[in-house]
Amino acid sequence: MSEPALVLDDVTYRYEEAESDALAGVRLSVAAGEWVGVVGPTNAGKSTLCLAAMGLAPHFFGGRLRGAVRVFGSDSLTVPVPERSADVGLLFQNPFTQLSGARERVDEEIGFGPECHGVAPAEVDERVADAMRLVGLEDLAGRHPLDLSGGQLQRLALAGLLAMRPRLLLLDEPTSQLDPAGTEAIFDVLTALHERGTTIVLVEHRLELLCEVCPRVIAMAGGRVLADGAPERVFNDEAVLAEAGAPAYCRLARAAGLPPPWPVRLDDAVAAFGGRRA
Amino acid sequence: MARGLSLYVEGESPLHRAHPLTSGVLTLAAIALAFTLPSIGWVAGLLAVLLALAAIAGVLRRLVAVAVVVLLPITVLLLVVQGLVNPANATVAIAIGPVALYREGLAIAALSALRIACLVVATFLLSFTTRPADLAEALQQRGLSPRIGYVLQSALQIIPQTLETAGRIQDAQRARGLETEGWLPRRARAYLPLLLPLVLSSLVATQERAMALEVRGFGRRVRRISRHVFHDSRTQRVVRWALALSVPAAVGLRLAGWR
Repeated sequence: MSEPALVLDDVTYRYEEAESDALAGVRLSVAAGEWVGVVGPTNAGKSTLCLAAMGLAPHFFGGRLRGAVRVFGSDSLTVPVPERSADVGLLFQNPFTQLSGARERVDEEIGFGPECHGVAPAEVDERVADAMRLVGLEDLAGRHPLDLSGGQLQRLALAGLLAMRPRLLLLDEPTSQLDPAGTEAIFDVLTALHERGTTIVLVEHRLELLCEVCPRVIAMAGGRVLADGAPERVFNDEAVLAEAGAPAYCRLARAAGLPPPWPVRLDDAVAAFGGRRA
Repeated sequence: MARGLSLYVEGESPLHRAHPLTSGVLTLAAIALAFTLPSIGWVAGLLAVLLALAAIAGVLRRLVAVAVVVLLPITVLLLVVQGLVNPANATVAIAIGPVALYREGLAIAALSALRIACLVVATFLLSFTTRPADLAEALQQRGLSPRIGYVLQSALQIIPQTLETAGRIQDAQRARGLETEGWLPRRARAYLPLLLPLVLSSLVATQERAMALEVRGFGRRVRRISRHVFHDSRTQRVVRWALALSVPAAVGLRLAGWR
């Protein structure tokens, strides 16, 4: 059996000068090649989970981390973030601040990461072309990054990470600033990446979309894991429904008085309501 | 959204195709020589050479248009101040009623203005014909630290990004009823509530960018292999050395009494 991509072993983390823990006794393991969704209300610890997996917490933010975070078997405390970025990519909510701020063309921006990793020029060109193809930015290669729309900018930020060929991709609400078309484009890219074998941890508040693509969902609240499993199991958990909400189909079925398990995907909802009509 | 501040103009001239270091050395040497050469004739000659290079690069019209805007007020100010009150003034050149402009002061002002013109023209010539990113890259290939290279490359993008953020904040404030238009005192007052959110958002953005850079491997201790191969030649190397040596030579000649 291959090494898990990510393991958090009883992790508790508190930011400097914070009065409470952002993560409290979190235990989870993500197998290589898995696509896991993370959901929860504000201050649930979702972003901190990503920061800890990347090593930014505590390397960048300071604070105190107890327990162990292991990425492909190596302890995050012993590996600096720039080194860790060879294996792990982290996409933030705001694509604007993810630009290097030092490149004047889209293709050069995408090549920034591999260049920092000392990748040979011919391979950088190949990776850049591949990443642009994956996210659909080939036609914009010569444009200035600041001339792109929000959706294009987020795809550019993602391409910049993909060019580094991460084995584990952490995405912290990557579609929060995107319109439906931009969101769909990002999810199409993620689906293609998952099919290639990339491990994906996706923090997302669009629960309907999340349930369509993620075979496993982790629900968090107050820095703790509330539930972990298949979406239909997680979103039928009363504690999750109370703390983290549920996909619209699930809430609708519940409000309509359908018996549990409530559907979390469109097809299941159609079947559930169709069965009731019949 | 605002673009970067790069003034680069696409072209295929020898200056566009020159190694970025050659363009950089040309600019630095021209500026140093402008402030070393002893007389109006020499400095005017240098300015003529720079303008000829701009013409060869196909950017003369654009360069003159920008340079005139910068230089005109400075030149007028220099001529008036030096012509009126320079301590060496003795020979009246132009008299308008009780006010007289003196030949000695005007000559000093003309020399200063020409020197500043060389500085401005040389700088714009570099900006129009060399991408800042290429110059920074070429310097990194010669051993400049990637961190300093990054600062050079990012510096030109800070201002438009800040303006873009300020515009967004002002739009939001206008939407909530803040009056930002009208006469000067009202517009000046409107800038005060802009400052705090602008500073705070800039600080947040800086922190996020610092994180994003680490996440992309910036600062990793590996030998970085540049993707860019800049065309260089023996001729360009000779030109660079000649330009670099011309400055200490001019300084030496001035110290030896060249006037």
